Amino acid sequence: MSWIGSLFFALLLIVIPLGAGAEYATVDDLAKAYSEASCKSCHAKVHNDWKSSYHSQSIVHSLGGIRNFIVVGLGQEWKQPVSKAHLMRCMSCHAPMLKDATEDLAKQVAGLIVTAVDDKDEGKKTAAKTELAKLNVNCVVCHNTMVSLEKNLVGAPKPGVYYSPAGKASPAHKTEKSPAMSTAFFCGQCHGIHTPPDGDALVCNTLYGSYQDGYRANGGSETCQDCHMKAGNRGHKFPGAYEVDMVRDGIGLDFQAAAIRLHPGKWIPTVVVNIGLINKAGHRIPDG
Amino acid sequence: MVLEVTAKTDKGTVVPIGKKEYWELGMDMDGYHRIGAWQIKEVIDLTLPPRKTTKERFVAELPEGTTSADVEVKVTYFPAAKTELVVHEATKKLTFK
Repeated sequence: MSWIGSLFFALLLIVIPLGAGAEYATVDDLAKAYSEASCKSCHAKVHNDWKSSYHSQSIVHSLGGIRNFIVVGLGQEWKQPVSKAHLMRCMSCHAPMLKDATEDLAKQVAGLIVTAVDDKDEGKKTAAKTELAKLNVNCVVCHNTMVSLEKNLVGAPKPGVYYSPAGKASPAHKTEKSPAMSTAFFCGQCHGIHTPPDGDALVCNTLYGSYQDGYRANGGSETCQDCHMKAGNRGHKFPGAYEVDMVRDGIGLDFQAAAIRLHPGKWIPTVVVNIGLINKAGHRIPDG
Repeated sequence: MVLEVTAKTDKGTVVPIGKKEYWELGMDMDGYHRIGAWQIKEVIDLTLPPRKTTKERFVAELPEGTTSADVEVKVTYFPAAKTELVVHEATKKLTFK
């Protein structure tokens, strides 16, 4: 190899990590690479809505379950070491950006999750939660990372491009139209039986299954986005099972009661109560 | 989710009329009920199916001498173990002639 060839090869090795799926070694670097901070200057209301949603707390709201997966599942039941590949079973939905973390950072995040739940020191717990809160399902995750439903056929999302249902051009960033984002299937990537990168199916969430097999199969035609975003101008708050008004919208009550007297001669006062619980949602209730 | 029906008689006695629970029962591959989402492989569906009305009927005798009762229906939703949302509460007054 000539010295020019050697120099080119050496430069290539330096450039490749930056250009082809960089790996990040700290939570801050990873969070910065996926930062939603610049989105709010133009999309303030959407950003505020998202900030109040559970998508913005997708790790810290689910700490107990993820901690149990690490400590009980990996540690006790499967007797497996904590690794990025194993952690991605949870994180490919709870913080998909972790795919771009180094192995060491993934292990560090697993440690933070355990600390946030188990540590006796409240200060350490709070510090761990603060760090973990930087990783979530944010603008970049939905409008880029998760947008390609057929990436093996049509390719992965393009770096730096924001995909949306309308694909309206913006001077701030490249935009492309994504019809997939209006489908229930888009949400079903995580809100249904999920296949993480290791290929094992997880029954962590079953909503999309009951949507298809219960709701659509019985004539329902609305999508997740119709009820959880468009109706009532709910937008990017994505309200669900934790919002009483949302649950009330989904369950109707028909209450009938009659007073009768039973047992001729004794005439015992008796109540006959008929209840109808009307599931108006697009999935079974309760569901997860 | 829990449906509870109670009656409070004119004498102040509270009589449980009926209770039903609706939930997804997660099972592992050996048929054990498991809580961790990562452990569950099958779901026994004890929920309210979409686009359907689930009907319940309760018949209960009240103490002799009751002349009226307030029948109360309460529907409570539990999105998490320690989180409780009262979705519906309704009362009907019944009189025994």
